[in-house]
Amino acid sequence: MRLFENSPGHGCTPGGVVMKIHEKILTHYLSCTSPVDKEGYLYKKRERNTTYLRRWFVLKGNLLFYQERPGDRNLLGVIVLEGCLVQACETDGQFCFSLVFTGPGLRTYRLAADDHLSQESWIGALFCASHIYLSMIVRDLERRYEEAKKDKGLCDSIQTSAVTSSSNNIMASWNSGQPYFVHGTSIVPRDGRSYSTSSVPPPSTQNRPISYSLHAPPIQFKTTNKRSPKLWPKRNAHVIPLNGPAPSYGEWPVVNFDPLEEFSKLHEYYGNEIKQLRAEWLKKKRGEVGHVEEDLIDLG
Amino acid sequence: MRFNEKELVFLSRQPPERAAELGMRGPKKGDVVKRRLVKLIVNFLFYFRTDEDEPIGALLLEQCRVEREDDQVFSIVFLDEAERKYLFECDSQEQCVEWIDAVVKASYEFMRKNLIYYRTEIHRLTGKDPLEQYGISDETRFQVNSGLPPPPT
Repeated sequence: MRLFENSPGHGCTPGGVVMKIHEKILTHYLSCTSPVDKEGYLYKKRERNTTYLRRWFVLKGNLLFYQERPGDRNLLGVIVLEGCLVQACETDGQFCFSLVFTGPGLRTYRLAADDHLSQESWIGALFCASHIYLSMIVRDLERRYEEAKKDKGLCDSIQTSAVTSSSNNIMASWNSGQPYFVHGTSIVPRDGRSYSTSSVPPPSTQNRPISYSLHAPPIQFKTTNKRSPKLWPKRNAHVIPLNGPAPSYGEWPVVNFDPLEEFSKLHEYYGNEIKQLRAEWLKKKRGEVGHVEEDLIDLG
Repeated sequence: MRFNEKELVFLSRQPPERAAELGMRGPKKGDVVKRRLVKLIVNFLFYFRTDEDEPIGALLLEQCRVEREDDQVFSIVFLDEAERKYLFECDSQEQCVEWIDAVVKASYEFMRKNLIYYRTEIHRLTGKDPLEQYGISDETRFQVNSGLPPPPT
C-alpha cells in the first residue's frame, strides 16, 4: 500500500491506497475541440462543511469537471458519473439536487442551481450522462435500426390498417436510464392520474416534489380506432418521493453493474403489463363486428 | 485535481468489458514492461498489480489512438501535446486484435457517434425520432446537425 500526499493526479483518500488518474488525459479531453454537453454555475456543498461554494461546472461525456470560474486554467476537480443516481432534493433549500453514488462508503455530492429551470436542465443532462446509460441506448437503437431496415422492405408492399404501434416501441420502451435499479421501491409511479406523453418533463409547482421522469409512450392507435390510447403513468426512475425520509442505507436499490441482466429483468417486469393489455385488447376486439384477426402487437 | 477516487475504485471492481494480464509499458523513457492486470470498464482502462485488489491507475480512453505495434502488441497514444504512448503486450495475435477493437469501441465519443448515426437512420426509415420515447430527444449531447424535425414544444 503506497501513500502519497496530494501529488497531482492522485486521490486524496486519507491513509488509503491512492490511484493515479492521469490528469492530463482528462484535461485534454475537456479542452479539445469536441463540444461540451453542458456548462454553467452551480453551488457545490463542501464535503465536511455545510457551506455551498459557487463553481463553474462543465459536463462532457460521463465526466463532470468543476473550477472556480469559466476559463480558469486550474481545474479544481472532476466527478466520474458512473454508478450514481441523480435526484432532486429539497432538504438544503431550493433548487438542490444530488449525485448519489450507491455502494458501501460512497459519497453523495450535493449541488444546487440558481433556479428551477437550471435545476431541471442539469438533472436531465446528468441523468443521461453515464457511459452505461449511453451504451444501453445505443444497443437498443442498433436493434431498432436493423428492424427498421427490415420493416422498410415489408412496409413498402403491405398496407397496415388498424394498429400502427410497433413491437419495438413497446418492448424496448421501458428504459429507466441507469440499469441498476430493479427494486420496486426505486421506481415510483406518479399519482394515479395519467399524463399525455411528451418528451418534455411536466412542469412542477413549488409545492410538489421536483422530478425528472422517463416515460414510456402510449400504445399508438390510428384515428379510425375510436378507443383513446391508454396513457402510461409517468415513472420517476430517479426520484425518491420527498414525503417521507430517505430510505435507510440498507434499502437503497442494489447496485448491479450488469446492464444486460438488469435490463432483461426490467423488460420482463414491464413486459407483463403489455402482455396483459394485449390480451385484453384481443378479447375485446374479437367481440366486435367485422374484426380482422390481427394482434395488437406485431411481433414479426 | 480532485476526483471521486472511492467511486472509481468501486467502478473498477465491477464486471469488466474485458480483462487480462498483459505486459504494460508506460510512456516515459526508461519505463519497462511490467505485468499488469488490465481491466476495461466503461471508457476507463484500469490497471492493477497482479496480486493487488486496488488499481494503481486508470486511463481515460478518450482522445486517443489505438495502434497495432506488432503481432501481439498494441499501443494507446494520447493525443495531447506530449503524445504519451502506452504499450500493451498480449499473449496472442487474437487477443491483441480483440483488445484493440474493445478499446476503440469503449470510447464515449465513439458510442455517441453511433447513437447519432442510428438516430438519424431510424428517423429516415421510419419518420420517427427513436429518442422521443426515452424523453431525451432534446438533450444537447444527442443532437444531430440536420435531418430531424424540431423538438415538440
